[in-house]
Amino acid sequence: MKPFIEVRGLEHAYPLEGNERVLALRGIDLTIGRGEFVALIGSNGSGKSTLACHFNGLLLPSAGEVRVDGLLTSDPHHLWEVRQRVGMVFQNPDNQLVASTVEEDVAFGPENLMLPPSEIRRRVGEALAVVGLQDYRTHPPQMLSGGQKQLVAIAGVLAARPSCIVFDEPTSMLDPPSRRRILDTVRRLNVHEGITVVLITQSMREAVIADRVLAMDAGRVAMDGPPEGIFEQGERLRAFGLGLPPAVEMARRLRAQGVALPPGLLTVEALAGVLC
Amino acid sequence: MLIQVEDLAHVYGSGTPLAHQALRGVSLEVAPGERVGIVGPTGSGKSTLVQHLAGLLKPSSGQVLLDGTAAHARSSAARRRKIAISFQYPEHQIFERTVSREVAFGPRNLGLGKEKIAARVTWALDMVGLDAEEMGERVPFTLSGGEMRRVALAGALAMRPEVLILDEPTAGLDPQGRRELLAQVRRWQEEVGMTLILVSHDLDELSRVVERVVLLNDGRVAADGPARHVLSDGPLLRAAGLDVPQPVALLQMLREAGWDVRVDRLLLQEAVAEIVQAQGVREV
Repeated sequence: MKPFIEVRGLEHAYPLEGNERVLALRGIDLTIGRGEFVALIGSNGSGKSTLACHFNGLLLPSAGEVRVDGLLTSDPHHLWEVRQRVGMVFQNPDNQLVASTVEEDVAFGPENLMLPPSEIRRRVGEALAVVGLQDYRTHPPQMLSGGQKQLVAIAGVLAARPSCIVFDEPTSMLDPPSRRRILDTVRRLNVHEGITVVLITQSMREAVIADRVLAMDAGRVAMDGPPEGIFEQGERLRAFGLGLPPAVEMARRLRAQGVALPPGLLTVEALAGVLC
Repeated sequence: MLIQVEDLAHVYGSGTPLAHQALRGVSLEVAPGERVGIVGPTGSGKSTLVQHLAGLLKPSSGQVLLDGTAAHARSSAARRRKIAISFQYPEHQIFERTVSREVAFGPRNLGLGKEKIAARVTWALDMVGLDAEEMGERVPFTLSGGEMRRVALAGALAMRPEVLILDEPTAGLDPQGRRELLAQVRRWQEEVGMTLILVSHDLDELSRVVERVVLLNDGRVAADGPARHVLSDGPLLRAAGLDVPQPVALLQMLREAGWDVRVDRLLLQEAVAEIVQAQGVREV
């Protein structure tokens, strides 16, 4: 797989009062391939969001370097291109919407790219179709549900045609139906549109849909591998303030009671499948 | 009855083109010491209902009685002694300079003496697992997200309310933070015996705390009963856009495949025991 994001020896220090600094990232080496779907998990304060902000140059390294599609984020000449390649979707959709109708909001990105109006219209139409909101073009975003607003925010990022989207806890403020819809959309963007996805989440159940899971602890990448391998290590995950998805926890307890089960069961569907 | 909600309706923006009916004839009763979960999709009326319980809204029609008196008609001081509400992301409302001043804010407004306030602050911080000696003089904004959440909840506990309403108390916390907070909520309830009303989207979490669930859909009570019944009723929950907890989902799949298992097992360990037992029977 061709590397898309390359992180070498990355450190990030936030300034405190006086001359104090706190190291939020302590030496990260990491390569994310083009088209990968990576879940980033870690306790509050482990450095997940800080790391993600380095993926599109919202933060710049205190030490080390980050390359996006070969472009160094710390080179001011590349920053604009880096940001075009990596889009970000945040937790609270209310903070990400800027316009008075859905289509104007989605057009905000491509307008800033100085594209001709016909191209902007085309992209807005396509982006709204991908997230399934084509019937809401003229609606005011503030009248939509939380999940729909988050889809508008995703469409806005899509319309700028990024190669990669970083989702920073995109479902944590949403209800279960909206959650499912956002996760389906995220997966579809990866599989059908070939977009590289980094999904930051506090839900272990959400993390299992990724191809690869990175677990952070105290500013370092503590675990890195496919979800089947990561979620076999319940003890370590707990030590990092994390846990197991419910299906994996049930499988673990069943094995402890003598029920023979193969490894790598991540969902209740998979668990039911082998039990039946 | 501690709380009586009778045919409660609420219309936002009544008389305007944007008028929206959030509650349509809700009736329910809550007895002292009950642990009640309120669930439903976004827009089902959960937040509006809990604001009525806390006396923060005036009914468009119907009534909400707290110990026999209309909740919104009580003086705010009388109301605050009875009922405390912690909204989503309560740490966003922290404003004091130190942790102990923040937790003391409520009791101070109740007009308590200095010593009583100090005792309540120490007690409330202990209840959320924070040491008053160590944390009391810290600046809230230098704490971690999970710690700030606990300080905010300690502020609600320090009011010693008879009824505590928690709206999505674990949202945004990491798995360990969620586990610890839920364990603490159970401990408060056991030690203090308060009435607990918990609003949550996470039915797996809710199952670990409440004994009764009220399901709202489109401003109406779609179900009200023991958690075990409501949260294992797949068709009912799916009609409201929700999913059964994961242990129930697993048991339902096994049952559909012909296993003789009960599906109303909400907790992981209960589902595991059910499966082990059923498998033993199958193998005999």
